[in-house]
Amino acid sequence: MNKTALKFSIMITSVTLAAILAGVWLADIDREHDSRAMLLPDKVMTLFPDPKPLTAFALTDDKNRVFGLANLKGKWSFLFFGFTHCPDICPTTLAVLARARDNIAKSIVGAENIQFVFISVDPNRDTASKLRQYVDYFDTSFLGVTGDNAQIGNLAGQLGAAYQVAIAPGMENYPVTHSMAVFLVDPRARYYAVFTPPHDAEAISKRFNVARELEAGNAT
Amino acid sequence: MRWRHPVFVCLLSALALVCAAGEEAGVSVRDAWIRETPPGMSEMAGYMALRNNTSRPQVLVAASSSAFESAMIHRTIVKDGMAGMVHLSQIGLAPNANLIFAPGGYHLMLMNPKRTLRAGDSVVINLEFRGGLVLPVAFEVRK
Repeated sequence: MNKTALKFSIMITSVTLAAILAGVWLADIDREHDSRAMLLPDKVMTLFPDPKPLTAFALTDDKNRVFGLANLKGKWSFLFFGFTHCPDICPTTLAVLARARDNIAKSIVGAENIQFVFISVDPNRDTASKLRQYVDYFDTSFLGVTGDNAQIGNLAGQLGAAYQVAIAPGMENYPVTHSMAVFLVDPRARYYAVFTPPHDAEAISKRFNVARELEAGNAT
Repeated sequence: MRWRHPVFVCLLSALALVCAAGEEAGVSVRDAWIRETPPGMSEMAGYMALRNNTSRPQVLVAASSSAFESAMIHRTIVKDGMAGMVHLSQIGLAPNANLIFAPGGYHLMLMNPKRTLRAGDSVVINLEFRGGLVLPVAFEVRK
């Protein structure tokens, strides 16, 4: 074999190796996707055998109207606590909830008797108009709600939703932590179930439809 | 033989050089995207799949972009069911391994975009690694 032929075969070997490595990498990525899919828990939703009736609270919606216990009666409510200056978890969750709502809307019973409420734990920055603009982006039927700290704490406490706003004087981007769960309140304003992350639109809508059928059966 | 034609050999050599340069760069990036945000929001998150192609650890130390006022490496952490974000000064990539930036985990925290970014737009973010390697990566804005 002369020098050129040797060079040529080395090159071909390198290119082949590169192709194999790329293949291995792609297979890796696929495996990751598979394992992520399998990680989705069957325990998407925890149903409470004896749903706890919620008690009075007073928040304000994105049109500056009172949002209280009465607003949870007569329809199913999905509640999620967050804040608009949240680049990762909140938009991810709200996008999932928007898809879940679409799925529910396409089901036989439809989405007329349900509402999705985004509760901001950061009233300092999240004004009514800002909340309206924010939730509109995900679904125009979504409602944005906030209030004073005591009243947010009141509702959050009843649902076991933890959050913390570490406001420091002069600090523009203070850290906010909040519960990742989505809370389901039934039309009798009882804390009915909780969806735990990672959230998945299909899983949420399917389980909600089952729960709603179950309750409709109980009522008759 | 036709395969030994000097032009062809040159072309192959050039290809080999390009491959070698990629190997020297050591890190490749796939599926780089930024989540579109509701209007008026000043924080965006960037995601990507990083791959360390070398047998040595690599360290991502910073990100910068002319499209944003600042870019930081962040991680969403969950403690007692609560999600919060922590800022990381650097992040290591194990030899020959992937590191995925994805919703609910690692992300680039992109502050104050200089123009409104909508789905379909593309912006370049420079990923800076220890040792001086700077990788310009095109991120696609998606819904």
